[in-house]
Amino acid sequence: MIHPQIAAFARLANGAQLPQRKIEGASTLLARTVHSIEYDAIHDEISVPQGFAGAVLTFRGDSSGEVAPLRVIQGPKTQIGDPSRLATDPANNEIYVPLGSRVLVFPREGNGNIAPTRILEGPDTQLGAGALAVDALHNLLIAVGNPGGGGPSRGTQILMFDRTASGNAKPLRVVGGPKTKLTTTGGPFTIYAPKGRILVPIRGDIPTSEMMAPDSFLGVWNESDNGDVAPHWTIGGPRGVFEMIRGVAVNAKYKEVIVSDKRLNAVLTFSVPEIF
Amino acid sequence: MKSPQSLSSARTASRRATIAISFIALATAAILFVSSGSFEDKQLVRAAQSALRRSDGVARLISAMPTAQATAQEGVQCEWQPAASSMTFSAAMALRQQAAAVNAANQSAPGGTIDFSQRKPIRIIRDNYAAFSSVAVDHKNDEVVLTDENLFQILVYDRKANTPPQAAMTEPKRILGGEKTEIEFQCGLYIDPKNGDIYGVNNDTVDQLVIFSRNARGNVPPDRMLHTPHGTFGIAVDEQEQEMFLTIQHDHAVVVYDKYATGETNPKRLIQGDKTLLADPHGIAIDTKNRLIFVTNYGSTSTKVKGRGEQRPNFPLETVVPGSGRNLPPSITVYPMDAVGDVAPVRIIRGPKTKLNWGTGISIDSERGEIFIANDMTSEVLVYDVNANGDAAPKRILAGPKTMIQSPTAVYADVVNDELWVTNFGNHTATVYRRNAGGDTAPLRVIRSAPIGSPAPMMGNPHPVAYDTKRDQILVPN
Repeated sequence: MIHPQIAAFARLANGAQLPQRKIEGASTLLARTVHSIEYDAIHDEISVPQGFAGAVLTFRGDSSGEVAPLRVIQGPKTQIGDPSRLATDPANNEIYVPLGSRVLVFPREGNGNIAPTRILEGPDTQLGAGALAVDALHNLLIAVGNPGGGGPSRGTQILMFDRTASGNAKPLRVVGGPKTKLTTTGGPFTIYAPKGRILVPIRGDIPTSEMMAPDSFLGVWNESDNGDVAPHWTIGGPRGVFEMIRGVAVNAKYKEVIVSDKRLNAVLTFSVPEIF
Repeated sequence: MKSPQSLSSARTASRRATIAISFIALATAAILFVSSGSFEDKQLVRAAQSALRRSDGVARLISAMPTAQATAQEGVQCEWQPAASSMTFSAAMALRQQAAAVNAANQSAPGGTIDFSQRKPIRIIRDNYAAFSSVAVDHKNDEVVLTDENLFQILVYDRKANTPPQAAMTEPKRILGGEKTEIEFQCGLYIDPKNGDIYGVNNDTVDQLVIFSRNARGNVPPDRMLHTPHGTFGIAVDEQEQEMFLTIQHDHAVVVYDKYATGETNPKRLIQGDKTLLADPHGIAIDTKNRLIFVTNYGSTSTKVKGRGEQRPNFPLETVVPGSGRNLPPSITVYPMDAVGDVAPVRIIRGPKTKLNWGTGISIDSERGEIFIANDMTSEVLVYDVNANGDAAPKRILAGPKTMIQSPTAVYADVVNDELWVTNFGNHTATVYRRNAGGDTAPLRVIRSAPIGSPAPMMGNPHPVAYDTKRDQILVPN
């Protein structure tokens, strides 16, 4: 794809509308294939992984145009390979980087070539960490992924760890199994901590190389779930509004769920007050 | 107790207030009466309105016109909100309509899942027009071919097509698009000069190079497909040696195939490694006269080693050495056409004087010895001498409001017709100039895929999203 950018659209943008601002240009150190983005409301910062250059970039929340990142975590000590996702914990000042069977944890204000402060890894973790979220309210680190790696999957799980877990720690709870319909995940997931919701975009039981995923849906679970639990809510699929679901965000103030779709090349906003 | 003076002034003020109130009431009644349609005297209306329009030292809104900024930022909008509600009116209405469906779903959903499959989005950010990403000319048939990264299409136009300003757009002669075509986020294009075959490069969502015969149209399978490494971007073909060159973004590599390779055929050669200085490579072009390869690099890179499962000959190494990521300055790297392996470039154009900032598409005019670069970030076409080296300034720059160049992603030097084509991802156009054009020169022709001024959000494969609660904005990376 051409033209890397982080575009900031008005909440009420609808149709083909210009973003209100964009972060773009060589000085930003951005590249295409940004697969995760976190907005830290406490410190007013935006963080993204940069897979091509093995880095975590953090920008001021109001950044616009060609601006350099505030901080860059990058270098041999970091142990970062090609990061695809990340999670931030503004309350406890940490940044989490999932790398398959490992989760690296860095201080939020870390900059440059720094070592992780702790690492979660080992057979008991059951990681495939495709994506992460941190619920500081309930002290949880939540991972969604497949221990078998990528590809079509019926083994995708939601793993819930103690937030400070490190080493070969076991998850506190695991959601997985046929009732969950957890198959190939669409992209990063999100949480709504005050109600303990976990929102996971799911493409369905198809290879990751497929262009279309017409059974794509967004599944919503609770952080108290454990075992083979069906989603409490589903949005989209089968043959629904999505063509290839990707990422998700929540706007709690307006009780909205925001979803991206690759094949529609679009961002869709739903009103879903039931989950808030 | 009040003084007589104060009582008198109070009475005076009271009388004035009574008169003023009566006058306002009368004038208002007149307006209401007239505007009710029962009385047609427009002059009376204007007089009554004029009576109310007096200076009282308080700022009043007389009229409103959109500012330039508001006009430019069409994404900014307001929406009515019901009193004492944190929700928008449309959201509230949508909820009301959905309430019945929710109740029904609650009653019917087995296993406790509430099915919102029928719930419609209340807003969709999407561009419904083609956004051109790459370009090539079919000289034999006098056609121009353009890829569209927004709607996943290949569009074919008459080479001399020119969209009149009053027209919404120019209709293409042929369109390729749809699931069967395997076209998605195409960013590179090559036209076979002998038969007009169209080579369309998919980027990182479909690991297939798709080749269509010239007359293919609609939702049809490609005539040929080649399974490529992940993340192909640019394409160039050496017709003399019948070899095809592809850049690989993710693995910072160039692979070389037989031109007619199909299916699971492996590359003939691989250029990859730290010495190459390949770093998020994009465009590729060949200088047939001097037998050189030119590659544009954005600058992000890392060291790759062989990992498990990477067995295919001449496929790039994919496994990253942890901690090896780094950012190099944007550059154009130059290699011999028969380069293999971890080879250093014979020349590298990079540095502040080059003005490179996300140089994307590249085209070489071997006849005149010039390199054309679509410099995406600065909305410029940079032209270098083909022998440029180091921190070399462009010999000329094509840019400015008259050029209509906006976020250019591809260039094509048409030596047959002495023209230069530019795709502008930022404004739904492909623009054509004289090959030697420079400065702020208006295009000779324009092919436009949308009405003039249609906003181009420039979204491409939106993957994650986030919500900026401070500014009420949706953050969408490409």
